[in-house]
Amino acid sequence: MVTSYIPLNLDECLKILSDKQVRIVAGGTDMLIQNRSHTSMPIGFKSDVCYISNIEELKKIYEDETFVYIGSVCSLEAIMESELVPELLKNTILEMASPAIRHTATLAGNIGNASPAGDSLVPLYLLDALVEKRSIKGVSKVALSDFITGVRKIDLEKDELITKVIIPKISFTKSYFKKVGPRLSDAISKLSFAGAYKLENDLVKDIRIAFGSVNVTVVRRRDLEERLIGKTKDEVKKMVSEIVDWYEEFIKPIDDQRSNKEYRKSISLKLLRSFIENIE
Amino acid sequence: MKDISISINKVDNEDKCSGKAKYVADYKLEGMLYAFTVRSQIAKGEILKIEYPELPNGYYVVDYKDVPGKNIVKVIYEDMPVFTTGKITYLYEPISLIIGPEKQVLNDLLKQVKITYKEEEPVFEWTDSVVHYHFDKGLGEKAFQGLEKVEYDYKTSYQEQAYIETQGFIGYPEKDKVTLLGSIQCPYYVKNAVVQALGEKEDNVRVIQATVGGAFGGKEEYPSLIGCQLAVAVKKIKKPIQLIFEREEDMLVTTKRHPSRVHFEGYVLDNKIHGLKAVVGIDGGANIGLSGVVLSRALIACTGAYKIDNLDISGDVFRTNTVPNGAFRGFGAPQMFFAVEMFFEHVAKKLGIDPLEFKLNHLAKQNDFTSTMGIFRDPVLMPEMITKVIETSDYLNKRKEYEKSEFKGVGMSLFFHGCGFTGSGEQNHIKAKVKLKKDKDKVYILIAAVDMGQGVKTSFRKLVSHILEIDIERVIFDNPDTDFVPDSGPTVASRTMMIVGGIVARAAKEMKDRFDEESFVVEKQYVQPEYIKYDEATFKGDAYPAYSWGVNVVEVEVDKDTYQVSIKKTWSVYDIGKAIDERIVMGQADGGLAQGLAYGYLEVMEHKQGKIMQKNMTDYIIPTAMDMCPMETYLFDNPYAFGPYGAKGVGELSLIGGAPAVAMAIEQAIKRRVFKIPVTPEYIMELINNGEN
Ligand SMILES: Cc1cc2nc3c(=O)[nH]c(=O)nc-3n(C[C@H](O)[C@H](O)[C@H](O)COP(=O)(O)OP(=O)(O)OC[C@H]3O[C@@H](n4cnc5c(N)ncnc54)[C@H](O)[C@@H]3O)c2cc1C
Repeated sequence: MVTSYIPLNLDECLKILSDKQVRIVAGGTDMLIQNRSHTSMPIGFKSDVCYISNIEELKKIYEDETFVYIGSVCSLEAIMESELVPELLKNTILEMASPAIRHTATLAGNIGNASPAGDSLVPLYLLDALVEKRSIKGVSKVALSDFITGVRKIDLEKDELITKVIIPKISFTKSYFKKVGPRLSDAISKLSFAGAYKLENDLVKDIRIAFGSVNVTVVRRRDLEERLIGKTKDEVKKMVSEIVDWYEEFIKPIDDQRSNKEYRKSISLKLLRSFIENIE
Repeated sequence: MKDISISINKVDNEDKCSGKAKYVADYKLEGMLYAFTVRSQIAKGEILKIEYPELPNGYYVVDYKDVPGKNIVKVIYEDMPVFTTGKITYLYEPISLIIGPEKQVLNDLLKQVKITYKEEEPVFEWTDSVVHYHFDKGLGEKAFQGLEKVEYDYKTSYQEQAYIETQGFIGYPEKDKVTLLGSIQCPYYVKNAVVQALGEKEDNVRVIQATVGGAFGGKEEYPSLIGCQLAVAVKKIKKPIQLIFEREEDMLVTTKRHPSRVHFEGYVLDNKIHGLKAVVGIDGGANIGLSGVVLSRALIACTGAYKIDNLDISGDVFRTNTVPNGAFRGFGAPQMFFAVEMFFEHVAKKLGIDPLEFKLNHLAKQNDFTSTMGIFRDPVLMPEMITKVIETSDYLNKRKEYEKSEFKGVGMSLFFHGCGFTGSGEQNHIKAKVKLKKDKDKVYILIAAVDMGQGVKTSFRKLVSHILEIDIERVIFDNPDTDFVPDSGPTVASRTMMIVGGIVARAAKEMKDRFDEESFVVEKQYVQPEYIKYDEATFKGDAYPAYSWGVNVVEVEVDKDTYQVSIKKTWSVYDIGKAIDERIVMGQADGGLAQGLAYGYLEVMEHKQGKIMQKNMTDYIIPTAMDMCPMETYLFDNPYAFGPYGAKGVGELSLIGGAPAVAMAIEQAIKRRVFKIPVTPEYIMELINNGEN
C-alpha cells in the first residue's frame, strides 16, 4: 500500500520529507504517467508520495531588484500569465503541452523530471536560472546547470524540496525560442533552441545560446559565447560558419521513435545559423 | 416536405456530452473477473514449454485446449487461431488468458509466466506471397510495345486507427448462452466467429454492442479474435469476465493499415497514358485475414479517377512476422490513390505538361469502362466539382505563384470510392436483412448497424421518420443485439446508408402503406441491382454498384529552417449522392480529411524487428486542433437510384484524397519529388539534400 501525504504548509512538508521516504508529486503530469498502471487500478507508485500542490507559500511569483522568484508549485499557466516573468520563458511555456496540462504542471516539476527534452530547461539554462532547495536543516541555492546532473538525475537530497526557481533579471535586445516538435500541441520536442543577445552601439555585450534534446542535458557553452562578446554584430555575423563548427561537436542527438540524429543535428545547427545571421 | 439534408441535432449528443452513454468499460457486473493476455515475447518460433505460476483460488488459465469448437477465428480468410497451439508467428501473439478477480494479482501472475521457445529467424522482408492477383484490361501488356515508358515507385507505411476507446468486451453466461457486450463494428461477425469457436448453436451466442468510442475499421475483424477468446473463457468459467485492452497493448497488437509498395509503368502515346502496368505489394503481417480484399480494392483503384484503356495489374499480399494488418477506413484505396495521384503528377512533369491539364485529359466520364470493365453508370460530376474547387481556392493562381516562390505549395487530388462491398459480396456473402417494427405509436429500427460516432443513429432515425412523416422521437434505434436484430451486415465499406439505408427505406415505404395497422413487422432483404455482375477470379465486371467522388485542394507552408509542414487551408468538393444529414456529412468530411492529411504528413508508425515503435499517443502523432486548419467543403447532389433519397457512401471517401493532396503541395513547396508518405520533416530534409525535381 502506498501512503499519500498532503501537507498544507511548507513546514509540514519539510517534516514529512525528513521523517518519511517519499517521492514528491507537484502537478503529477510526469509522475502519474511514469507510474501508470492498468485502468481502474491505483497509480503504480513505487514508494509513498507527498503531494505538494496545496502549499500556498510556494504559489507566489515576486521580484526584487535582481531576480524574479517563482514558487515551485506555481502552474505553468500562472507563470505564463505573470507580468514579472521574462518573455523568453513565457514564450517557451506557450509551446509546452496543452492548456489542460499547463493548468496543473509546474516549472519545478519540469526541472525535477530532468528530461533531455524538458522544454523549459532550455531558456532557464540560457537565463542562468537558480534553484532554491530547502530541507528541515536549511535552505540553499544552486545554479540549474549544476542541479541537473544527467538524464533524469538531479542534485537533491531525499529530505529536500525545490521551493523556488530564481531567474536573474537580464535585458536582451532580442531573445528567441524555437521548439521543433512532431506536432503543434502536446508534443515532446525533437529538438529545441534558444538564443538571446544584447547589443550596445552594435557591440555584442552579451550573447547566449542553448540547445535542447540533443544531448543528455541542455547544451550551453559559455566558453564559446565569451569568444563573441565585445565583437561588433557584423563581425559575429561574418563568423557564422565558424560558430556553427564550434558547436557541432556538442550536438550529439540520438535516433528514437520520434526522429533521427541526422535531422536533430542538422536542424539544430540550422537554427543556430539563422539566429546568428539575423542578429540586428 | 423539408429537404432531408437539413441538419438536426445528433440524437446521442446529450448522452455523450453528459457522460451518460455507457461504453463497455462502464459496465460493472457482479462478480466480474478480469482477463489479461499472455503474449509471446518472440516474433517467430515454437513454444517448447509454458510454466504458469501456481494459481490462487478463483484464478484460471484459458488457452487453445479450452476451445470447444474450431480453433480458428472466422473472418474472410481463416488463418488466425483463437489461441496459438504453439506456433508463434508475430511478437505479442496471444497464447492464453489469465483470469481472476484482482487486477493486481493478475499483473503479478502474468510476470511469473515462464515460456521456453525454440526461436526461428523471423521474416520481415516482403518475400512470402500468400495472395497473388492479376488482371488485364484491353490488350494488357501487348498494348505497351513501342511506347514511351515512364516508371516510378511509391511507398506508404502503417497507419493506426487511434480510436479513443480501446478494444474490449465483457462476456457473461446467460442460461445456455454466452453473451458478449463489446466495442464493435460488426455484431454478426463476432457472433458467427464465436459460434464457430464454441461449436455452439446460433441461439446460444448473443452479441450486444455497447456505445462505441471510435473504430475506423479497427473494430471490424479484430474484435472477432478477442470475442472468441473471451467466449471460450466464459464457457469454461461460467462467470462474467471483462477483457479490455490498455492503450499500449492495443497499439502494439491490433490490426493497422497495410504498408504498401506500388511500382507503376506508364506507357505514353501522344501525351496520354495509353497503358499502365502496376505491381503492388502490401504487408499482411502474420495472418492473411482481410488482406486479400484490401489488396483487391487497391488494385481496382489502380487507374485513380481516370480512364486508361490497357492495363496489366498484379499484386501480392506478403506474409511477414509482424502484427497482422487489417481493415482501416479506405481499405486499400488510400494507398493506391496516393500512388496513382503522385504518378499522374510525376508523369505529367516528366512529359512537360501541366499536371492538372494532364489529369483532366484522362478523367473518367459517365459510361466509361472502369479498370475491371464495369461501367461508370451514373453521371460523373468531376469537371464541375474541379471548377468549383478551383474557384473557391484560387488554385490556378496559387499554383503558378508558388512555382516561383519557396516553401509554399498547393496540391489537388482527384479520387473516388467504390461504395459498398467489392463485387458480389453483398449478394453472395452478406445477404443483408432488415426489420422495421411498428408497435402502437412507436417504430423500431432493427438492424445490426453500429453507431461508432459517425452518426448512424441520427441518420437512420431521420430517414425513417422522414419517410413515415412522423416525429423522430417516435422512431427507436437501440444499439444492436443479435437476439433481436437480423443480420444487416457489418458497419463497414461505406455501405451502411447506401445499402442498409436503402433496404430500410424500402421497408419504411411499405410500412407507410399499412401505417393504420397497430402492430406489425416489415422485413426486407438486399436485392442486388441487376446490372451488377462481377467475377472475382478474373476481376471482370462492375466491382461496385456506385461511386462517390471527391476533390481536395490543400495549401501548405514548409518551414525553411525546420521543414515542419503547416497546413494553411483545405477546399473540398464531394459527390456523395445526397446527404441524409448535412452536418453529419460535414463531420465525416472534416474528420476524414484530417485523418487522410495526417496519413500523408504526420502519422509515423514503424516496426523494428516486428515491434511497433510508436506504441502510445505520445509517440504516435495524430493531429491536434492546432495542427489542422480551416476546411471549406461543398457537397454536390448526384442521387443514386438505389440509395435512400439518392445517398451513396460517405465515410471512407473523405480520407482518401488527403495524403496525395498534401504530398503534392509539399512537393511544390520544396521543389522535390515525393515518393512516399508520411512526408515528415526528416524525409523532406533527405529530399532537399538528395532529391530531384
Ligand atoms: C500530455 C502531456 C504533454 C506534455 N508536454 C510537455 C512539453 O511540451 N514539454 C515539456 O517539457 N514537458 C511536457 N510534459 C511533461 C510535464 O508536463 C512537464 O515536465 C511538467 O513541467 C512536469 O510538472 P509537474 O508539476 O506535473 O511534475 P510532477 O509530475 O509532479 O513531477 C515531476 C518530477 O519532479 C519532481 N518534483 C516536482 N516538484 C518538485 C519539487 N518542488 N521539488 C522537488 N522535486 C519536485 C517529482 O518528484 C518528479 O520527479 C507533458 C506531459 C503531458 C502529460
